[in-house]
Amino acid sequence: MPVFKTPFNGYAVRFSPFYENRLLVATAQNFGILGNGRLHIIDLNPAGGISELCSFDTADGIYDCAWSESHDSVAVAAVADGSLKLWDAALPPSSNPIRSFHEHAREVHAVDWNPVRRDSFLSASWDDSLKLWTLDRPASIRTFREHSYCVYSAAWSPRHADVFASASGDCTARVWDVRDPGSSLVIPAHDHEILSCDWNKYDDCFLATASVDKTVRVWDVRASRAPVATLAGHGYAVRRIRFSPHRESLLLSCSYDMTVCVWDYRTEDALLARYDHHTEFAVGVDMSVLVEGLLASTGWDELVYVWQHGTDPRAIS
Amino acid sequence: MEKSIERQRVLLQHLQPPSSAGSSLLSASVCAAGDSAAYHRSPSFGDDVVVVAAYRTPICKAKRGGFKDTHPEDLLATVLKALVENTNLNPNEVGDIVVGTVLAPGSQRAIECRMAAFYAGFPETVPLRTVNRQCSSGLQAVADVVAAIKAGFYDIGIGAGLESMTVNGPGWEGSVNPKVNEFQQAQSCLLPMGITSENVAHKFGVTRQEQDQAAVESHRKAAAATAAGKFKDEIVPVITKIIDPKSGVEKQVTISVDDGIRLDTTLTGLAKLKPAFKKDGSTTAGNSSQVSDGAGAVLLMRRDVALRKRLPVLGVFRSFAAVGVDPAVMGIGPAVAIPAALRSASLEIDDIDLFEINEAFASQYVYCCKKLGLDPAKVNVNGGAIALGHPLGATGARCVSTLLNEMKRRGKDCRFGIISMCIGSGMGAAAVFERGDAVDPLSNAKHTDARNLLSKDAV
Repeated sequence: MPVFKTPFNGYAVRFSPFYENRLLVATAQNFGILGNGRLHIIDLNPAGGISELCSFDTADGIYDCAWSESHDSVAVAAVADGSLKLWDAALPPSSNPIRSFHEHAREVHAVDWNPVRRDSFLSASWDDSLKLWTLDRPASIRTFREHSYCVYSAAWSPRHADVFASASGDCTARVWDVRDPGSSLVIPAHDHEILSCDWNKYDDCFLATASVDKTVRVWDVRASRAPVATLAGHGYAVRRIRFSPHRESLLLSCSYDMTVCVWDYRTEDALLARYDHHTEFAVGVDMSVLVEGLLASTGWDELVYVWQHGTDPRAIS
Repeated sequence: MEKSIERQRVLLQHLQPPSSAGSSLLSASVCAAGDSAAYHRSPSFGDDVVVVAAYRTPICKAKRGGFKDTHPEDLLATVLKALVENTNLNPNEVGDIVVGTVLAPGSQRAIECRMAAFYAGFPETVPLRTVNRQCSSGLQAVADVVAAIKAGFYDIGIGAGLESMTVNGPGWEGSVNPKVNEFQQAQSCLLPMGITSENVAHKFGVTRQEQDQAAVESHRKAAAATAAGKFKDEIVPVITKIIDPKSGVEKQVTISVDDGIRLDTTLTGLAKLKPAFKKDGSTTAGNSSQVSDGAGAVLLMRRDVALRKRLPVLGVFRSFAAVGVDPAVMGIGPAVAIPAALRSASLEIDDIDLFEINEAFASQYVYCCKKLGLDPAKVNVNGGAIALGHPLGATGARCVSTLLNEMKRRGKDCRFGIISMCIGSGMGAAAVFERGDAVDPLSNAKHTDARNLLSKDAV
């Protein structure tokens, strides 16, 4: 399966919702501590291998990225200097970036594009806040300020246009409705920082959280007193969690233990597969919406892997 | 600069969570073992040796039991055949078969075993040898195969064990070297095993009551395991003949259960038995291992070979140790061998979830458990040789199938197991096994042979 070498350390990877062979990769120099960032748009070649379509540079590291759900060539990046930058790959370099929003006081750690409404996106920042944006406004529409420490992740509900979840270092996950003044649910989901969250794509009540306590937990937001499932198996903090777009109970996670894991939270032996192809922290994973079982991961080893679930990511086809 | 220091702090906290009170999760078993296990496992290379299948025949009483009229090699052939058939392995791929066998004359037994391989359907190209380390021969055979696979001699091998104590009994050919009188320990090698048991009981103060209690427990656990069908996965039924001692009529039978277990064994019953080896001794026929017939076989291969063949990983062979002890108290072998095997696996005795310690005699079994401070709930949970029988050469291989099947039943909480036994002439052997899926990186991930990267639309 193809591998793509990035000049900087990988931070996030996302499959395009429009093209099954296109991915977005966010990278940051010097492990995101100091230096530049670069956003790559890469294509899987039918003949095998990966080629770069274009790339965009930033003055600080990029921690996360997301495709626009409305324009197939537009992508947004969460930049460590607190800005959000949008590029249109269809436009010449002189017109890019098409937008640059700078409101967050600290590093922006995550972005997520609304998949239902398709006109807005969220950013989550280390300044303890989340912000809601649209392309047609010069400033954020709303700021969500309740968390008491870095917000590491934001995830729109795949079903409800105005609902999203956030995960924070204050050890809580929160569920929000943008029409409401405050969060509608606070889940003290872990005893340690929560680094990522994602919604079940089939049942709009189930939310997964990933934590520094090395576990992934699945919650039913209707009864959030106790988790529906606790998935233990990672050796270090779980950095990112994604629900499968194809199978209801399938989850994909990556961790500082350098592995990528596939889980089925409904089965007793929940850990379906462990991939240890990365040689540094694995911090970015995604599952293709358009090709079932196609996985992508990136890490601080500056490599992007794209492979079919069940195959060896390192195998050269 | 301050910014980058702050970034490092935030990221570092992901790796070193402050040990906040009330977080029991950080010591959760799976994670704790994952990065605090004293040895670093690296299954990504796939070059450790794993057990993919282990079977045994029923263990039957010598001279009176189900195999009293069975040729020994038929027992071996049955388990060898089961290994190949149940794994769909091409027998051509087996690099070597090593059989542990004790009492039978060496060369004749080696030839019988070679013939057994043919009976089992192995081609002439697959070699076979025997090994004799007395009571641990079966385990030694498995360890030899593991060592050969690790050395790269071959990728797939079978470690087996065979004993028919109906056909072969203990004996001594020729004269004893008179030099033996000058060497105390050499002289001790000639002691009957029962006397060494009495020595252990006397030297370490194991009472008759303790020994009889261990025997009762062994029968009770073995009977319960049989009743619960726990041995079904490991026992291969043997189709053989049996001759009625009175009428002399020959009859075809299928033997599928151990026939030495006596559910009705009680302390009062055992207390009535006379010491078998020494007038004022404590070792009786009731608290010693039974004289039996049986065979066992274990299919081993390198992990990557097992993964490629999509065979289940029943267990991982972690370490093996054979040690020497005073021949006069040879029964203490496990008490020395188990710590040695643990050391070479970089584990502690508390890491072990299950023990299979051969009950050659209740005296030495009780002593070893006490000496090592073992939790009785973890030792010989399905009974031992006092109830099942101790076909010398087969016992080691028998224990592998019993241990790994029990670990499989117990699930992920049961990660490490040990097999150990004492050895006549003063030795002990022990091997550490790990549950297969504890370290299986891709066990459940399906193989896709075709390059399946893009859908047809894109191409």
